Amino acid sequence: MSYIVPIGPYHPALEEPVHAKLYTEGEVIKDAEVFVGYNHRGIEKLATERNAIQTLVLVERVCGICSHSHAFTYAMCVEELNGIEVPKRGQYLRVITAELERLHSHLLWLGIACHIIGHDSMFMLIWDEREIVMDMLEKLSGNRVNYAMVTIGGARRDVDDDLRRELLDMCDKLQKPLDRMVELALNDKTVAMRTKGVGLLPTADAIRLGAVGPHARASGVNVDVRRDSPYSSYNDFEFDIPVVDSCDVFARVVVRALECYESIKILRQALENLPDTPINLGTKLQKIQPGQTVKRHEAPRGMLSHMVVGNGSFNNHRVSIHVPSYKNTPTVPFMLKNNTVADAGLIIASIDPCFSCLDR
Amino acid sequence: MQEYKKIVISKDQIVPIAEKMRKEGRLLVMIHGFINEEGLMDVSWDYAVDPVVESYHVIGETSFPSIESIYDVAAAWPERELNEIFALEFEGLDTSKRLFLPEDMLETQGKGQIMVMPLSELREKNEYKGGGLR
Repeated sequence: MSYIVPIGPYHPALEEPVHAKLYTEGEVIKDAEVFVGYNHRGIEKLATERNAIQTLVLVERVCGICSHSHAFTYAMCVEELNGIEVPKRGQYLRVITAELERLHSHLLWLGIACHIIGHDSMFMLIWDEREIVMDMLEKLSGNRVNYAMVTIGGARRDVDDDLRRELLDMCDKLQKPLDRMVELALNDKTVAMRTKGVGLLPTADAIRLGAVGPHARASGVNVDVRRDSPYSSYNDFEFDIPVVDSCDVFARVVVRALECYESIKILRQALENLPDTPINLGTKLQKIQPGQTVKRHEAPRGMLSHMVVGNGSFNNHRVSIHVPSYKNTPTVPFMLKNNTVADAGLIIASIDPCFSCLDR
Repeated sequence: MQEYKKIVISKDQIVPIAEKMRKEGRLLVMIHGFINEEGLMDVSWDYAVDPVVESYHVIGETSFPSIESIYDVAAAWPERELNEIFALEFEGLDTSKRLFLPEDMLETQGKGQIMVMPLSELREKNEYKGGGLR
């Protein structure tokens, strides 16, 4: 018997609205379609009637989890157009916030993945650990979401010596629970049974469909914007890029878990070698110079690109935001094929989707 | 460091460049579009040639060949988005379904008006006049 099974827009396994239509043959999915656009807020349009500082506030609201990435990338675009060189300390502070954000985003996703698998004790363990990162972000920026750490020409808040030591202590505190989590993720039977061989995306398909970020790295594609085309001060740090080639949901769990270690590595280096320069260049509002530019940033979920066009006035002429989920969501129908309906929720969630980012 | 390289091309070079980039295994960053100061449509195909973004611009055209057959959904989604917000035509692209905007957008605001019309006019057009379902 063949049925069409709808999932969403509102479904317990999804944090955000998306609609998937599954064409099934018995319990096996033979074809699938994904529909987005339930969260479209017209942010690109709104940005055309705002100045640079107002746009920073606006683009931070694109996403609740990778909000710093958006402000970071937009600020890089305006700085390129206006020819502004950001002081080194400002760059480091941006990197610190970006890596903390990556940590908390990956831990959030790992928790949710465990929850969908049905391993709730691991979900609680991971989210408990995530609280340490959230505390660090709160200490650093004053906020748990929408950190407002970026201004045109630098960072908005400085780190003094006490805070620096405290943040480094927290890095140490994170190590032990992280080890335990990775050990559990790699050796636990429940996790292995629900994720191994599920939602396959072979390497060739990942390249053809344009997958990015941890999702592509779990399919054996070695891409990372931080290394391939360095920006800000990522050149100064040493870190590895975990690549796994088993191409299934398990690989996505492993890649994200290992990336947490790399983020801590970058955090330690940045906090220990914090340069002694001003953090920004003052807050005077600037006109956006005529021109067009595209900047890319490795957000927690993959490559994020902003295009900004200036026309010499205070307002943007055009801002175009394209997020990693925009690249990864079209791969979902390919992954769903020949899996069972019971795994559909997990496979959709395995790309770490952010539909409010996607719809903007 | 990251760089942005702007290259202006003509319409018939879009497909050969896409084929060349696909062969080299380059990622299609995005297809961007905006209306420039002279009121002409400026559409750019951006490829990641690390660490540079090579941006191939076609200026003053409103219909293009689709590169969906080369880049699959990675090109189809941006093309569908541009079709929605700027009413650009891509030959051979299935635009029967909406990607981001509501299904009733065609009746209330017309095709491709969203990025072109000033916000104040859009607001005026969509103002609630009372009666009926909102």
